[in-house]
Amino acid sequence: MTEFSDSLSLSVSALKAQSQRLRHLSENIANADTPGYRRKTVPFKAVFDSADTPGRVETGRVRIDRTEPEKVYDPSHPLADESGHYAGSNVNLVIELADAREAQRSYEANLKMFEQARQMSRSLMELLRR
Amino acid sequence: MFENLSVFRTAHAMASHAGARQAVIARNMANADTPGYTAKDIAPFKADTGSASAQFVPRATRATHLNGTSQAAQYAISDRPGAVAEPNGNAVSLETEMVHAVNTKRQHDRALAIYRSSLTVLRSAIGRK
Repeated sequence: MTEFSDSLSLSVSALKAQSQRLRHLSENIANADTPGYRRKTVPFKAVFDSADTPGRVETGRVRIDRTEPEKVYDPSHPLADESGHYAGSNVNLVIELADAREAQRSYEANLKMFEQARQMSRSLMELLRR
Repeated sequence: MFENLSVFRTAHAMASHAGARQAVIARNMANADTPGYTAKDIAPFKADTGSASAQFVPRATRATHLNGTSQAAQYAISDRPGAVAEPNGNAVSLETEMVHAVNTKRQHDRALAIYRSSLTVLRSAIGRK
């Protein structure tokens, strides 16, 4: 029985991590047009449990992408410098969407594992019933 | 009493092997996006047919014993061979894990089916339905 609860808690930790990732991705997409916004990235790391095997997955500290923001030419903008440019965000919508699709894929895979562990323990319980 | 019937013992070993493997695959799946993680697996299930040499091996009854095998070390977790790493050092393929997960589920179902049908045989032997 302990394997099933292990496997359920592992899947839940992954679901949490992936939804955390998706949350920051949607924040990036929402701020794609905010001047001076730097995109945020979420690192994943395995947490070592007592058995010395990497187990649950957790998200680490949110990092900020250091690439240079896009220069937008708009002399009438209040933030524009002498040359008429202002700093936009460094969000690339294509990258964000691809990342979001990957997060969704991993989320679904983990949800399937959760479902399967539940089914296995349920069929074990079915043996006792009757 | 059920423990002594070898068909029940084999079904039990098969089901618990499937449970342990399910946990390992869930771990791989959870770490599918963790940099530097390599997919793990345990050895496939092999029925202990009770050969004479297997019955008289030394057994470790305490954690401090050097020789013998204890119950906890039954399923040794090792890196899965043939895994190809991505640029960030992660070597988990969701598709491969999915195939192994389905195989594990089928093994578990098979073991439970064997257990249930043997139980039916026992029940009819004592005249119940």
